[in-house]
Amino acid sequence: MICCKECLDLLHDYLDNKLDKETHSSLEEHFQDCPPCVAFLNTYKSTTSICRESLGEIEMPDAVKSKLKEFLKSEEFKN
Amino acid sequence: MTFDPKEDKAAEEALVRELQAGNMEVFDQLVERFQKKIYALSFNLTRNQMDAQDVTQDVFLTLFRKIHTFQGKSAFSSWVYRITLNAAYMKLRSRKKDKSVSIDELLPNFNKAGFQQEKVQDWSENTESLLFANETRGIIQKAVDQLPEKEKVVFLLRDVEGLSTEKVGEILELTIPAVKSRLHRARLFLRKKLSAFFDEYRSGEDKS
Repeated sequence: MICCKECLDLLHDYLDNKLDKETHSSLEEHFQDCPPCVAFLNTYKSTTSICRESLGEIEMPDAVKSKLKEFLKSEEFKN
Repeated sequence: MTFDPKEDKAAEEALVRELQAGNMEVFDQLVERFQKKIYALSFNLTRNQMDAQDVTQDVFLTLFRKIHTFQGKSAFSSWVYRITLNAAYMKLRSRKKDKSVSIDELLPNFNKAGFQQEKVQDWSENTESLLFANETRGIIQKAVDQLPEKEKVVFLLRDVEGLSTEKVGEILELTIPAVKSRLHRARLFLRKKLSAFFDEYRSGEDKS
């Protein structure tokens, strides 16, 4: 039976499906008996998803795009 | 936008060959292809529109001047990411402010038997409604800004940009286990930071 520490160390590979069969099932066994680790797993997953949603949608403002266009035509750039 | 990665890579390589042959007319295509990615990563690292704009311009200037030195040892896009990171770090150094805190303080605690020592609240069900609150967005940005540089860059490339572990390794010249370990530490740090926020948020809701 694996402990919480081992369980948390394995989360990255567990979510990437990179664990061997045996470790994978002992981890799932641990989850069945350990609500705190299930809560940890869920919030670990959510951390990635909400950060991606929040930071992954950075749009380049039109003003910045036109500044860049100007810059690419400028003497400073060509020389 | 092409969606077949193989085709996309071939188009990218053809573009680079043209540029290396001196056909700078196609530089606009390079700009079109990379400007959003360069800007987004610069913005996430500097958290400032002016700085991200400067970094983006610097990157294209470097690409324009150094395109002939690209040897194709790694993917061209990895080279572009590396130049972007260097330019962003130069910008940050010129600002000289370091808001990061020690990551070890925020790693999980265990007792001798290896059980978790703190109460773990499951806030994963509540993030949908919270995400669009500006406050939440601010908290997420602040938490990411506080990550130490080594972990932050891995987190931004892997989890925010969605690049593969292998690609991140190539860009940062790190081994796969090193990328995984930094990513895991970053996620643990952010989870803890967000937990503190969501716990407070929920206890505030209970009172009202």
